Amino acid sequence: MQTPNNLSRRGFLKQCVIGGITIYSAPMLFSSDKFKEYTNTTLLQNDWKGDLGKPKFRFDAIAKVTGEKIYGRDYRSQDIKGWPKKQSYAFILRVNKANRVFEGLDFSSLSNEMKPAVLITAQTLEKDKIGFPSFFGNDMLLPAGKVPAYEGQEVAVLVYDDFISFKNAKNSLQNSDKIIKYSKAIHPLVSAKQAPYSTWRIIREEGLLKDKYSPLQNGLIFPNIKNNKAVWPIGNVKGDSIHQAMHYANELHNDIKNEDWYVVNKTFTTPSIDPVMMEAEAFNGWYDRKNKTIHMVICTQSPGDFYKQAGEMLAASPKGKEVKDLVIHSPYIGGGYGGKDHTPFPYFGLLSLLYSKNAISLSNNRFEQFQSGIKRHPFVINTKLAFDKKTKKIKGLITDATIDGGGRANFSGPVTMVGLSAMQSIYYLPRTDLLASVYPSSMPIAGSMRGFGTLQTMAAMEMMMNEAASDLNIDPIELRRINASKAGDKNTQGAIPNGDYRYLEMLELGEKHTIWKNRHSKKIQFEKENPSKKYGVGYSIATKDYGTGAAAPSSSVEITPNGEIIVKVGYIEMGPGTDTAQGALVSKYLGSMADEVVMAEISDFKILKLFETHNPYFISQKQQDKEEKNPQWTPSVTMASAASMSSYYQTHTTDLCAKLILQHGLYPAAIEIWKTKYFNNAYANANFGDYHTASWKNGKLSAAGFPPIDLKTLAKKAHEMGLLTAVMSHGFNRWAWASAQFDINGTTQKVYADAIATKYGKKSKEFTIINRKNVTYPTTAIGNAMVTYLAPCATLVELSINKKSAEVEILDTHTWLEPGTVLVKDLVEGQIQGGVAMGIGHTLYESLPLGQDGAGNGTWNLDRYNVPRARDVGVWNMNYTLLPPLGKSDPSKGIAEVVMIPVVASIVEAINHAIDKRFYHLPVTPEDIRKEI
Amino acid sequence: MSKLTFTINGQKIGPIEIPQEVMMIEYLHEFRNLTGTKFGCGMGICNACVIIVENEDGSKEVKRTCINPSSVFNNKKITTIEGHAKKDKNNNIISLNPVQEAFIKQFSFQCGWCTSGFVNEATLLMDKLKTKPINKNDVQKVIEDNLGEHICRCTGYAKYYSGMKKLILETKGLTF
Repeated sequence: MQTPNNLSRRGFLKQCVIGGITIYSAPMLFSSDKFKEYTNTTLLQNDWKGDLGKPKFRFDAIAKVTGEKIYGRDYRSQDIKGWPKKQSYAFILRVNKANRVFEGLDFSSLSNEMKPAVLITAQTLEKDKIGFPSFFGNDMLLPAGKVPAYEGQEVAVLVYDDFISFKNAKNSLQNSDKIIKYSKAIHPLVSAKQAPYSTWRIIREEGLLKDKYSPLQNGLIFPNIKNNKAVWPIGNVKGDSIHQAMHYANELHNDIKNEDWYVVNKTFTTPSIDPVMMEAEAFNGWYDRKNKTIHMVICTQSPGDFYKQAGEMLAASPKGKEVKDLVIHSPYIGGGYGGKDHTPFPYFGLLSLLYSKNAISLSNNRFEQFQSGIKRHPFVINTKLAFDKKTKKIKGLITDATIDGGGRANFSGPVTMVGLSAMQSIYYLPRTDLLASVYPSSMPIAGSMRGFGTLQTMAAMEMMMNEAASDLNIDPIELRRINASKAGDKNTQGAIPNGDYRYLEMLELGEKHTIWKNRHSKKIQFEKENPSKKYGVGYSIATKDYGTGAAAPSSSVEITPNGEIIVKVGYIEMGPGTDTAQGALVSKYLGSMADEVVMAEISDFKILKLFETHNPYFISQKQQDKEEKNPQWTPSVTMASAASMSSYYQTHTTDLCAKLILQHGLYPAAIEIWKTKYFNNAYANANFGDYHTASWKNGKLSAAGFPPIDLKTLAKKAHEMGLLTAVMSHGFNRWAWASAQFDINGTTQKVYADAIATKYGKKSKEFTIINRKNVTYPTTAIGNAMVTYLAPCATLVELSINKKSAEVEILDTHTWLEPGTVLVKDLVEGQIQGGVAMGIGHTLYESLPLGQDGAGNGTWNLDRYNVPRARDVGVWNMNYTLLPPLGKSDPSKGIAEVVMIPVVASIVEAINHAIDKRFYHLPVTPEDIRKEI
Repeated sequence: MSKLTFTINGQKIGPIEIPQEVMMIEYLHEFRNLTGTKFGCGMGICNACVIIVENEDGSKEVKRTCINPSSVFNNKKITTIEGHAKKDKNNNIISLNPVQEAFIKQFSFQCGWCTSGFVNEATLLMDKLKTKPINKNDVQKVIEDNLGEHICRCTGYAKYYSGMKKLILETKGLTF
């Protein structure tokens, strides 16, 4: 914990103004009496710095291992400077049925103690004209007289002024029909009459010199919707884009009947999955009516968007507009996996503040989190994968997927698109017709859970590859080698992914692994030695995109006159160690890891005065060309903290800031010292080389054989000379980085950023924006590529199955990962191990039923929802190989999602190897297996 | 209401009146403002909320605080996650206990929500091994048996387990 004095210097900084409401982000300021009570971890935390790429421990390790208050759920009103001691407690009432009319609430049976001090219902919202931000849709609280859109839909917020009343009321009312009244009559589900949230279709037909048709070349196509179904036009090769696309799709559908082709024709189903981030969603807030200011502590992966949407929500209501200032603190979160990305939860906290005189604590328990939290979309994938029987080359892929999007659209559209574009896995597909629609349902909201649709589709593709290998009588790795994409090959969208594919290298490593080579002989031996068990081995590979097509990281790096390094980034620390990696990576240029790493920083970056005007995915080229002339314009100001986004995207701007400080700050300072102290400067010019040739060793910078100088000395000199000592940068990436020219230290330099601000030592105490020149943004058309950054991963699984219990035991896993340049190896290892475990859960254990028995009914918890324990993941044998980068300039890749994907098809294949039975649904349970033994 | 007395991290508390329905984790959070003990499932399944309890006979055990009312801990000495590290007179943490040290060096945790439970259970295990050393070949099994019910969603458990194995094998007197 930092001292209040230390923190107070930062104050609250203005973030934005929405409808007259000023949004600020704020550090957590502890009240001074509480600060004295709590322990201080700063002394030990300062020891985290290690050699390049090897911190001694995580930046946040001491705070986490000693139980310091760092998570949103930890805070109480009494902890926070300026907040009142008195805190009320709120909870949300939710319906557990979606097939009856909600007829309202009846509190008449409750004792006085159980009655809430504040009750907020749809009537309240109607009276004060308050609702969700537009992203979440209508009926923030369900009005009486309507059929719920989904099980778990919110109907009221209840506030209690003391903990005991709150606890007793919540225990009694949660998931109870005591006060929620429903119609006796059954009604059709609301979703039964709704159109799909979104439909995507990716059609490609390769040509000789260029594609005959591809989304990148010819544009995206969308259907008409009639009677809530997608309707596609007839094919016409000479018609518009969509007719041409349909022509080639029809040709593929006809050709797939070709007798020379072998076709895997299957339907795969995947379950509804809960992220089970260990910290359930929580909120703390206080409405300071005297100063018309709302203060909040939120648990979100996407604070930037929360700021905007919270402002939007308040500004749309007369009651909300009474608020002048909104002050928001975004702390560490106890796990996310997408479960805290754009969720409705914090808006209910904000709502409750408008009606309560006290500070409010609102936190889901685990039942509530299952009932209302974001889920992974269940997919039903009908698919046909065709091979040439002779060459074993893939001839085409047809897919028609139906996806359950839950009760609100949320990110269902993007998840469907990304999942569909990932269906190809690592393979070159000359012809494709990939179609997917995501529909509303009565299930809880599904959103951007880790994998973002690719876990579902790529696992299906890999299962087909394993089945095809068996049917075509070819080694599964050999079949993959024949069909793996080579560098320069186009993906199904017609785009060429960035960088080299290293699939062949990875396949070869798998092929040589002892477990793979000896799988057949070991099966015989193992089953002989263990007559009660079956033995199996399976392999699969995947390549996962990282990025969103509108990534917008911001960073700042500053060196103080004493040589302390302060790094600030917009990203949230969800667990993977982004704070550690960002704080560590600067040592490459600055000779030391950061002394202070500030996560979730949004406010400081307002110095750049950036603004956006359009949705970055749908802006036209013409509009972009017009807008970019304003040097403060950017397609996107902030980005959410999603899986696989920090190591490449956030690193880009942090790395840039640190590099510029070396180039224009520390290195010129070093030259000045060298030439005045260690060279006959009055008589000749020395050639120290450019900053690229300088290197750090043992915390000292040297070049051209001159005496190494420590960071503190260089920092002091840089400040004295007024050299560059702090840089703030913003980048934009639409499958390539925006670039512009900036005048830095008197020279014009091309930089891969669209906004920069700088400080020059003693010359400038505040950041000054450098106006960009000649900005170049990636064309809007490249958005049709959908994805171009990929990280490959393969996993080999060895398992046994108990014949009696039919339970699977993972004996060993070996994962091969191509992560690019590794920032911190220990963190990558942790991602691999955690990813494999989550993939095992998806394959063998985790599932929520669809319909009335699902999570929305409020009865789910970890007693029935099985997440893997250590005994389920082969904990002592989670092995891995990291492919070394091709060169020093290889970027760090986003790997947080891909590491969980290949293990899925590997397990299914290993089960097939063990009991000679293929499964096409997940999870594969002991009941499923028992039927086949 | 029950009148209860505890010793929490060396500090004697009570006798105080606490409503009977208050679970120990609620008491720690809402009445003591000690939030290092983490709420996970509320059903005693994930074990994120376990704390160390010293009974009147000196024996120690871990107990789940989300399903046990505060009255269960009456007259007990309790150690929560906040009670392991050494502090100076200004409340600066100056050193960690061996388990905490092992976990941070091994990068054992990620989001850290399950860490309190792991630290408490593993610290108790270290205490047990001091009085009853085990064969080196049994270390993995002992770790599995003692930490096996703790749920972690981020890490795949590997670095918790390898950290503990290293610590046990490197600590004199725990194995033979």
